[in-house]
Amino acid sequence: MPDQLPIRVVVEDDLRRSRLTVAFRLILAIPHILWFFIWSLGAFILAIVAWVIGIVRGRLPDGLHDFFASYVRYSTHFFAYVLLAANPYPGFTGRQGSYPLDVEIAGPEPQRRLTIAFRLFLAIPAIIIASTLLSTPFAGGGGSGQNDEWGGGEYAFLGGGGVAFLVGFLAWFSCLARARMPRGFRDLLTYALRYNAQMTAYLFFVTARYPDSDPAEPRAAGDEGIPPQAVRMTVDDDGRRSRVTVFFRLFLTFPHLVWLTLWGVAALLAALANWVATLVSGRPPRVLHRFLSAYVRYTVHVAAFLFLVANPFPGFTGAPGYPVDVEIDPPEPQPRLASAFRLLLALPALLLGGTLLGLLFVVGMLGWFASLATGRMPEGLRNAGAFTLRYGAQVDAYGLYLLTARYPYSGPSRPAEPAAEPYDEPGAPLAATA
Amino acid sequence: MPRPRSALIALALAGWGLAAWFLWQTEVPDDLRLPHVEPGDAVSAGEERAASDFEEFLRFDFLLSQVAVVGALALYAVFGPRFLRESASGRIGSGMLLAMLGLAFVWIVSIPFSVAELWWSRRHDLSEESYGERVLGGWLALGGEFLFICLAILIVMGLAGPLRDRWWIPGGAVFVGLAGLFTFVYPYLIPEQEPLRDPALSASAREYARDLGVEGVGVRVERVGELTDAPNAEAVGLGPTRRVILWDTLLDPRFSDDEVRVVLAHELGHHARDHLPKSIAWYALFAFPGAFVIARVTRRRGGMRRPEAVPLGLFMLVALNLLALPVQNAITRHLEAEADWVALETTEKPDAARALFARFTTEALADPEPPTWAFVLVDSHPTVVERIAMAEAWAERGGR
Ligand SMILES: [Zn+2]
Repeated sequence: MPDQLPIRVVVEDDLRRSRLTVAFRLILAIPHILWFFIWSLGAFILAIVAWVIGIVRGRLPDGLHDFFASYVRYSTHFFAYVLLAANPYPGFTGRQGSYPLDVEIAGPEPQRRLTIAFRLFLAIPAIIIASTLLSTPFAGGGGSGQNDEWGGGEYAFLGGGGVAFLVGFLAWFSCLARARMPRGFRDLLTYALRYNAQMTAYLFFVTARYPDSDPAEPRAAGDEGIPPQAVRMTVDDDGRRSRVTVFFRLFLTFPHLVWLTLWGVAALLAALANWVATLVSGRPPRVLHRFLSAYVRYTVHVAAFLFLVANPFPGFTGAPGYPVDVEIDPPEPQPRLASAFRLLLALPALLLGGTLLGLLFVVGMLGWFASLATGRMPEGLRNAGAFTLRYGAQVDAYGLYLLTARYPYSGPSRPAEPAAEPYDEPGAPLAATA
Repeated sequence: MPRPRSALIALALAGWGLAAWFLWQTEVPDDLRLPHVEPGDAVSAGEERAASDFEEFLRFDFLLSQVAVVGALALYAVFGPRFLRESASGRIGSGMLLAMLGLAFVWIVSIPFSVAELWWSRRHDLSEESYGERVLGGWLALGGEFLFICLAILIVMGLAGPLRDRWWIPGGAVFVGLAGLFTFVYPYLIPEQEPLRDPALSASAREYARDLGVEGVGVRVERVGELTDAPNAEAVGLGPTRRVILWDTLLDPRFSDDEVRVVLAHELGHHARDHLPKSIAWYALFAFPGAFVIARVTRRRGGMRRPEAVPLGLFMLVALNLLALPVQNAITRHLEAEADWVALETTEKPDAARALFARFTTEALADPEPPTWAFVLVDSHPTVVERIAMAEAWAERGGR
């Protein structure tokens, strides 16, 4: 149950934002920025002390535990404020219950000495994921390198700081205009901040629980209030991965990449035709809609196979039924004006989709090692990958192919029917959180 | 009275034999007697020893690797179909997956032999490639092989869908066509080509091309010096794309100009005697029966239209290739001997030819007189001793 997680994020935010503090947020945050760096420095020095004591005693003294717990909470408050995930000005002490986006942290517990001794090495995968989501002083820089190779390079000036900084940047305009934070942005930031808090707590010996990369945890948060989506993810995957096909996954994808490219040329022409037809008749023609929907599904299948979000070798037709798939609503009327300027309107989503490719790449890379070692894909990683695929498919369906007029939803959400079954095999590693 | 089926088979066999006889004809005089040549006549005993030691290791490495590959594929033919559960793809896609995995196993099994071969070549200063480059290069090549096998599977399984067991007829034709197409475009795929800059040599190349009736065929130099010291040259292309490729390792001071002239005339000889189209024709003579055998053998797995049959088909392909290797080697040796003869007739430089062939032993460590089994199984060219003997035979006849 979520309540038992040692590091929980609690959100009591009504999405309202003050335009004035949003406008000057970075300047207002300067004292916090200074304080955050000083505190980070102190945390680093004390971490060495905590490491030695932890190895000797097998647990952290209460004082040190509280110090690091406060640091985790404070850094979460601080980033939530800067990135517009919450509205009010945070305090400087990281006191529990003092902020709408807060972290509840359980008391100190005995930890295995060996995991304390090698904590820094064990944390490396988590640090890589955290740096993709949110660059911090100890998880910095990593994100930009991956972005460069995966098409996100153009957005490095925004995305180099991780997904969260791009979201904060985009949210700034939205909050100024509407005095409200979009729900998807807030939830995506919550995901990034929760993962970062769990990673920091793990790194600083606050908990022995490994961070959970599942975007839609905790489930208690629920899906209510999430707008309906025209492109929905379905996941029917038991987590098993064939080691042989994992080892050769990249090359096994080659024929699909060739076919994807050829089909992509046709899809581009079909997209142009669909754009003109939708402008004229006010809704996408059924034939083009079906053709482009199949292409979007096929893209999801191939990417899911390549990045280990799914196991089996996909078919070449984009037919529904692949374990990781998207359902796309049939064509509906679309407002002509919004269709005319679709690419422009989709720009923020295209930027975010490009940056999330970095997360998908990290999922594939880490999942490759994990699947090779255990024959299974960690559930959290798989769901993180499924989330990026779902968002990517929504961006394609909305921005490029005009399959729907519904804007992509950037927040995490549970996959639709068939529902994602949590792994129920007893030996499943890293699936204990569900 | 024979049944029509037997008559058809007899007719096919007769046609095959006739075509093979026709392709086998060369310009080398039928009454040519090769004088007896000892390796010691051309190279020192130490050089001979070094070259035969060098090749002996490579021969065994090659043999063992072939045994390992065929063994691995035999196992895969049995256990491969269980990988079908890793596929959510259709008939052909699943076949592609099984074929790619089969190649992946072959690659894994081949790594130790490839590394051993590199170790041996490096020990003898014939290669400067690093082990990392070798393994990574093999890895990248595997990606290309995956694409190629997928194309082959698409053709075979695509045809086997509607045609069932008769896919081998159009399938053989498509593969022969692809072989022709590949030969045609291959010259454009060779990297690092530059013109032959030496004016004397390129004048000779033009003169020989004119004498041999292949005026349009030019000479290009491929830069390989950083990868290897071994000398080589090849005749590539088909029709308008025909050209001769010299490795730049041939143009260094180790080789005299006359020796390079012999190489040029030899390669131009390949083109003048249409050896590349002939090779494609030979390929056709093997491709059709080979495809037929694969179609027959895979019938017990439902034929090549079923993905379950792909691992068995892959095994059959590699096994048949290995079985045909001695015959294919005999054919290429025959063509090479003709090219040597044409080179002697064109250059009229038997001494340069002798010196060149001897250098294959001293520079490239070619065993001057390999054991017969190795010769039959592995060697695609006549032995150094045979080539020198031909040069002497030509000289003795005083030209013609
Ligand atoms: Zn030759």
